[in-house]
Amino acid sequence: MQQIRWVWENMKGFQKSYIFALISTAILQIMQLINPIISQKIVDEVVYQLPKQQDNLKPLIHTLYVLVACMIGFTLLRTTLRYISMVVYENCGQKFLFNIKAELYDKLQSQDMKFYSNHRTGDLMTRLTGDLEMGKHGIAFISRCLLECLFLFVATSIYMFSKDVLLTLSLLAITPFIFWVTRLFSNKVGPYFVDLRERLSLLNSNAQENIEGNRVVKAFAQEAYEIKKFDEKNLDYRNANLKTTLTWLRYFPAVEGLSQALAIAVLLVGGYFMMIGRITAGTFLAFNSLCWTLCIPMRMLGMLLNDSQRFFASINKVIELYYSKPDIKNHPDAIVKTEKLQGVISFQDVCVSMHKTNILNHINLDIKAGETVAIMGSTGAGKTTLINCIDRFVDVTSGKVTIDGIDVRKYDLNTLRKNIGLASQDVFLFSDTIDGNIAYGDLSLSEDEVRHFAEISAADFIDKTSDGFQTIVGERGTGLSGGQKQRIALARALAVRPSILILDDTTSAVDLETEKFIQNSLANLDFPCTKIIIAQRISTTKRADKIVIMDKGNIIEYGTHEELLKQKGYYYEVYLLQNGISSLEQEVC
Amino acid sequence: MARNKFDVDENLESPFNIKHLKRSFIYIKKHSKKMILSLVLSGLSVICALITPKIVGYAVDYTIPNQDFPQLLLLAIAMAALIGLSVFFALIRSKYMAYVGQDIIYDIRKDLFEHLQELSFQYYDDRPHGKILVRIVNYVNNVSDMLSNGIINFVLETFNIIFILIFMFTTNVQLTLIVLTGVPVFLIFIFIIKPKQRRSWQAVSNKNSNLNAYFQESIDGTKITQSFVRQKENANIFDKLNRANKDAVMYAVRLSNFVPFTVDNISVIVISLMYLGGIAWTAQVVSFGILVTMGDYAWRLWQPILNIANLYNNLINTLSYLERIFETIDEPVTVKNAEHATLLPPITGNVVFEDVTFSYDGTKNILEHLNLDIKAGESIALVGPTGAGKTTVVNLISRFYNVNGGAVKLDGNDISQVTLHSLRSQMGIMLQDSFIFSGNIIDNIRYGKLDATEEEIKKACETVRASEFIEEMEDGYYTQVQERGGRLSQGQKQLIAFARTLLCDPKILILDEATSSIDAKTEKLLQEGLQKLLVGRTSFIIAHRLSTIQHCDRILYIADKGVAESGSHEELMKKKGLYYQLYTAQLEQA
Repeated sequence: MQQIRWVWENMKGFQKSYIFALISTAILQIMQLINPIISQKIVDEVVYQLPKQQDNLKPLIHTLYVLVACMIGFTLLRTTLRYISMVVYENCGQKFLFNIKAELYDKLQSQDMKFYSNHRTGDLMTRLTGDLEMGKHGIAFISRCLLECLFLFVATSIYMFSKDVLLTLSLLAITPFIFWVTRLFSNKVGPYFVDLRERLSLLNSNAQENIEGNRVVKAFAQEAYEIKKFDEKNLDYRNANLKTTLTWLRYFPAVEGLSQALAIAVLLVGGYFMMIGRITAGTFLAFNSLCWTLCIPMRMLGMLLNDSQRFFASINKVIELYYSKPDIKNHPDAIVKTEKLQGVISFQDVCVSMHKTNILNHINLDIKAGETVAIMGSTGAGKTTLINCIDRFVDVTSGKVTIDGIDVRKYDLNTLRKNIGLASQDVFLFSDTIDGNIAYGDLSLSEDEVRHFAEISAADFIDKTSDGFQTIVGERGTGLSGGQKQRIALARALAVRPSILILDDTTSAVDLETEKFIQNSLANLDFPCTKIIIAQRISTTKRADKIVIMDKGNIIEYGTHEELLKQKGYYYEVYLLQNGISSLEQEVC
Repeated sequence: MARNKFDVDENLESPFNIKHLKRSFIYIKKHSKKMILSLVLSGLSVICALITPKIVGYAVDYTIPNQDFPQLLLLAIAMAALIGLSVFFALIRSKYMAYVGQDIIYDIRKDLFEHLQELSFQYYDDRPHGKILVRIVNYVNNVSDMLSNGIINFVLETFNIIFILIFMFTTNVQLTLIVLTGVPVFLIFIFIIKPKQRRSWQAVSNKNSNLNAYFQESIDGTKITQSFVRQKENANIFDKLNRANKDAVMYAVRLSNFVPFTVDNISVIVISLMYLGGIAWTAQVVSFGILVTMGDYAWRLWQPILNIANLYNNLINTLSYLERIFETIDEPVTVKNAEHATLLPPITGNVVFEDVTFSYDGTKNILEHLNLDIKAGESIALVGPTGAGKTTVVNLISRFYNVNGGAVKLDGNDISQVTLHSLRSQMGIMLQDSFIFSGNIIDNIRYGKLDATEEEIKKACETVRASEFIEEMEDGYYTQVQERGGRLSQGQKQLIAFARTLLCDPKILILDEATSSIDAKTEKLLQEGLQKLLVGRTSFIIAHRLSTIQHCDRILYIADKGVAESGSHEELMKKKGLYYQLYTAQLEQA
């Protein structure tokens, strides 16, 4: 039931209109009865009187006009109220969806990397679409129907009791059985709905991954395998759906049979009562027609229970997402700074471990403001983790990282990250214009400024694209080559004029001439900037003030280009490797 | 078509027509037996329901006044039997319909997915992925009920109307005609509201797909958003999309609810007219018995009409989803098997470009009149400025795109005349973006060759120097990785992708910036392993690190829509042309 409370709490601001909707449902149920009463009156007071009053029809016709006017008036009133009621229900449901989506959007935007590595996009999308939609269904449909049923049941029972208590009791004797059966059913089917939801999420994830990986699928000509894989999920989902329906159908004969058995009870018990003179023919007929009314809520119950189970299975997933909190978040009294940071970075005995393995071991590193530091090292040495500690995409396990002498964990996250321009390895561009992508971090940038940052990032290819800066790039920048994506990412990082610029292998896919150009630009930025550059090429690292060589989470070499060459260690080896051509060449010439 | 953004609605050109529904009959047809049987069963259950009042009527008229309790008992048993039968019929129908409904969405989804597998890169590049996803999952789910129960109910209600009309006409023609005056009014109303309603539901599916696309993109781009502190601006964009979606739904709901509102009022008005006509205006032509009966029928007539109106609401809604689904299924496949495509026999690896011209958009040529003749076993390096078309050249070999002029031939076979599967399964292509599937590492490597043994996989990993880091992970080859490889570094992902490519033992190997994120030392080791593997294979290598390519047999400098220079490293160095400039530039830097 805490699910219902959660939904209710999230209806703040329109709880009153929702209550109005609920009340209108009750009123509508009563109004429903008025039309039959009027038409009964037309029959009783006008039509039946016709043969008796052939000579003077005037008063009859007058009564007819009045009754007809009443009927039309009431219908207009009722349908108008129903219209309003339906719209209010939907509006409440949509407002709920709107609020929760907005809330979840904010939450997802502040989630950390750990969260995202545990939740697949497809699963998150299931929660945000199907599951949330079920929440709305609960507000705008299930509750309304339940209320209608309840009202119909109670009203009919009361009316019946007023006619004959014993006969009513004998009818209602069946209801506990119906409730018992439906309860059995709902206990049984609950887990199936949880399973069904899981299958949907798997289906979603599978489709999503297939779409994302469409290039790899084609490259390996694995369409048939993908189809088979998807087919399994599709079939599983179908079967899970069938399972819930078939489970319901197993209980269906009992529920349906029992509720229709009311008519038999009326015939048998009512008929007997009529025989012994306990009730009149009129009462018997009234019971006979009302037992169908009593029947409706019972028959509806099964469907509503189905939907409620689905509702609970789904809303649980939404609530789970709603309350999930990132590990990396603002310190209670986080430091907010409006002025730019200087960019002095210091790693003090930093250790990071993830997945039970140590990624960084006791790293100590000092970087002065304005310095350029290059980081090099083998694949998986911890280079990316090291820089992730600076902008807190990873929190240190022990030790600390400080910027301008203050622990990064004490800064307000926005202050911290606003001062850092990041161009990461796996370039992610948004399906937006190139202009929009470059100005991503600073919407106030003028067109000229965007152009300027594109220029210094050597993104001159933009002018050659069909619509220049207004060219829309596909999601993840598909349609652009790796080098082109990287240069846009670089322009994006530079465009925020950061105090600290982090380039995580950002020029790996650009050609050498371009890279040289970029390096010159970086050396001549018109704002103070500490630069940390992860790179594999000597040509990139050579000009750095300091070079850090990492291996297995340790700094194994540290110094300038010349110093490291003298050390004749890893760096020297790489230097030789990449220069191998030149020595070879000299031999040839 | 221009690229689609998250906030751009996708236009549907085709006007509203019933063709989408007709088309969905392909899916329904398979189940026609079950559908017809269900229809019959529903009819039987209606008849059962009609007989029960007769039993009660008989009891009231004869059995009870006669104080005949045994007969009453008998009648009760008869009624129980009828109820039993009708429950049984309903059960069978529900069971059938459950299967039909689920099978239909299963089939549609399957067709949709299979078609998506055939669509080219372009299709995926041109629109946010969230918009594709929402079709496969959500939209297909939305059409199931309409295509199963909806249709049955539609037919039942239509029959219902016809039967009642027959009863009415045989009772009294004049009064029936009065009751029917409401029908044209109702039809006019429907024709006025229909186009609006259709547009409104289309708008809903558009706005919904925009919202979902943006949501998905935001999820995938969270790290960038956080690092650029864009949460607030994004939340504003999201708010706009969220609001547009909500407003679209509310507008559609308001319109839709107008239908039952109108039907109810029309029905009451025509019934009133009938009473007035029968009593006040027609001066005594009808008896009171007829009036009572007609009153009863008139109420009964409008209930199915109201039900049909509601079904119609759902139908319009469903159609807007079907339109989206069929639009995707109809998306032309640009790169597909030729009509009489043959299987490409096992190749040795000769690659020939004959006068190849290519353009992505049909206007600007990327390559013009390109001629290449590459012998089996040659290793070819492609160099040149970014965007010059290096990737394009290798993409044409795998036929990811069709050439606009000329032909690409493998061992003399025009690749446009062989099946895509036989072509691509003989090549090993390593793309710039090394996509890793969620699952364990071994399955990711096995992707290229599903029946590979663990030894083969380990061997491939050793060759590319991936085995070391894989074995260091907690579950070794069985370590779970997340979508896009989450915890792996870019270099590690490339190594895994490399192993995956090598495993399929391709005759033609294409490495497109395959090693850009791998450190120099690992790359050196990898190169050594690779040299052995390259023997007997034709290979195409795109790389910026010249150390990677200097050992290639031939280097092609791609620029100005074609090959500007071609030759071995030594030849090109002597030529002192573009390659020489590129090379010396690198030397100066290093």
